[in-house]
Amino acid sequence: MINIKLNVNGKDYSLEIEEDKRLIDVLREDLRFTGVKEGCSEGECGACSVIMDGRIVNSCLVMAVQANGSSIVTVEGLVKDGELDPVQRAFIEKGATQCGYCTPGFIMAARAFLNRAKDPTREEIREAISGNLCRCTGYNKIVDAIEEAYRYEKGI
Amino acid sequence: MIVKQAKSVEDALELLSHYGNCKIIAGGTDIIIQMNEKKVQPKVLIDISKVEELKKIEEDGDFIKIGSAVTYTDIIESSIFEGNLSGFKKACRLVGSPQIRNRGTIGGNIVNASPAADSVPPLIALGATIILESKNNIREVKVEDYFSHSETFGIREYEILTAIRFRKPKGVLTFAKLGLRKALAISRISIAALVELDKDNKVSFVRIASGSIGRYPMREHELEEFLQGKVFDDAVIDEAVKVLQGVMDVRLANRSSLPYKRRAVEAVLKEALGEVRK
Ligand SMILES: Cc1cc2nc3c(=O)[nH]c(=O)nc-3n(C[C@H](O)[C@H](O)[C@H](O)COP(=O)(O)OP(=O)(O)OC[C@H]3O[C@@H](n4cnc5c(N)ncnc54)[C@H](O)[C@@H]3O)c2cc1C
Ligand code: FES
Ligand code: FES
Repeated sequence: MINIKLNVNGKDYSLEIEEDKRLIDVLREDLRFTGVKEGCSEGECGACSVIMDGRIVNSCLVMAVQANGSSIVTVEGLVKDGELDPVQRAFIEKGATQCGYCTPGFIMAARAFLNRAKDPTREEIREAISGNLCRCTGYNKIVDAIEEAYRYEKGI
Repeated sequence: MIVKQAKSVEDALELLSHYGNCKIIAGGTDIIIQMNEKKVQPKVLIDISKVEELKKIEEDGDFIKIGSAVTYTDIIESSIFEGNLSGFKKACRLVGSPQIRNRGTIGGNIVNASPAADSVPPLIALGATIILESKNNIREVKVEDYFSHSETFGIREYEILTAIRFRKPKGVLTFAKLGLRKALAISRISIAALVELDKDNKVSFVRIASGSIGRYPMREHELEEFLQGKVFDDAVIDEAVKVLQGVMDVRLANRSSLPYKRRAVEAVLKEALGEVRK
């Protein structure tokens, strides 16, 4: 067992964990942030995506100890004062989710992208979600939703 | 298994010499998968992903030094790889996905030693060297030799790759790989070229490296010899494709992938050489 310190969704945690755990295991099992989904466990599907120190990462490919001292944002951390994040709102309004399994990962990838984006093209949006797989929607509605979220944020 | 977060290179080397059956973990994008598959089963993992001195990109006179824990995203966002070095950025942009580029490191890409390691052909074309440190020793090895003579120049158990170094080139570095649109496809063929043209548009210097045209990324000497001194026009580029296909016919003889790779290399080499003129 080892002690690690994490800030998750704005809250500090000090945790005793088994050292062979990955970040995804600690988020889901120890902290119960079950919005983080496990799909492929090998970096292909993006269902486990979280924002770590401002960057989108696959939490199945980070050892928990490596995240010691880092700040993590999961989909649970996006709601502010009871208000959905613009990305979440746009996903609902554009019908960008069906079975929903991939959705938290896409929303986090979109959030990380929009935090730095300037007038994104559809091509750039597709690139930003190229590490996320969806078996239901065919992606177009997801791209629509991310464009819409950008407009909400810019008030256009 | 235990996992240790190294605070410095010194700390990591100390840990490495202290424990047996150790592995370094940087971005984890290769090794975590290999551990899941039980292909590697270290007793101790030493994490270097937060060692600041390994995360720097520095200009040092005529040289550029990249710390081994620098990520693809760091390269893409660095102002050092502009202009004649933008081919390196292109290679990094074509890696995996944003998630992989944010974690995957150049050092991990080299040590993992896949024939399709995308950062390697550009580094070979640049004539780059790597610095391998152990507790009592430090060696500098050419990236090219690291792959072609790995018994002598490969990394040893107790060593850490700390940095990659190359002299700022005069020529233009370009890169092309197959399957640009499928972002997650680990490239099957890639070419990096460093070409310098003189005032008569003749090739005065050339170094070319390939990925996945052999068992490891390598220099393409025959192609270089063919191009050296030639007027760099479309006709020569067409001829160059034939030269490389000839090399592949011998190197990949009897491989089922040969007919496919032979055709695919045409577009890849034309793109890489074509970008020299842009
Ligand atoms: C979905 C997916 C897509 C990918 N796409 C691509 C692609 O398009 N192109 C490509 O080239 N690769 C690709 N990769 C492979 C991988 O991301 C890269 O090889 C990456 O650069 C590995 O770096 P890392 O820091 O994650 O390595 P790790 O997994 O941390 O380490 C890899 C190996 O290197 C050793 N190591 C790492 N750093 C050091 C060091 N400084 N000193 C000594 N030993 C060290 C480790 O012990 C381990 O054996 C992909 C991987 C995934 C999962
Ligand atoms: S579960 Fe992590 S990428 Fe698929
Ligand atoms: S909505 Fe079902 S996988 Fe994307």
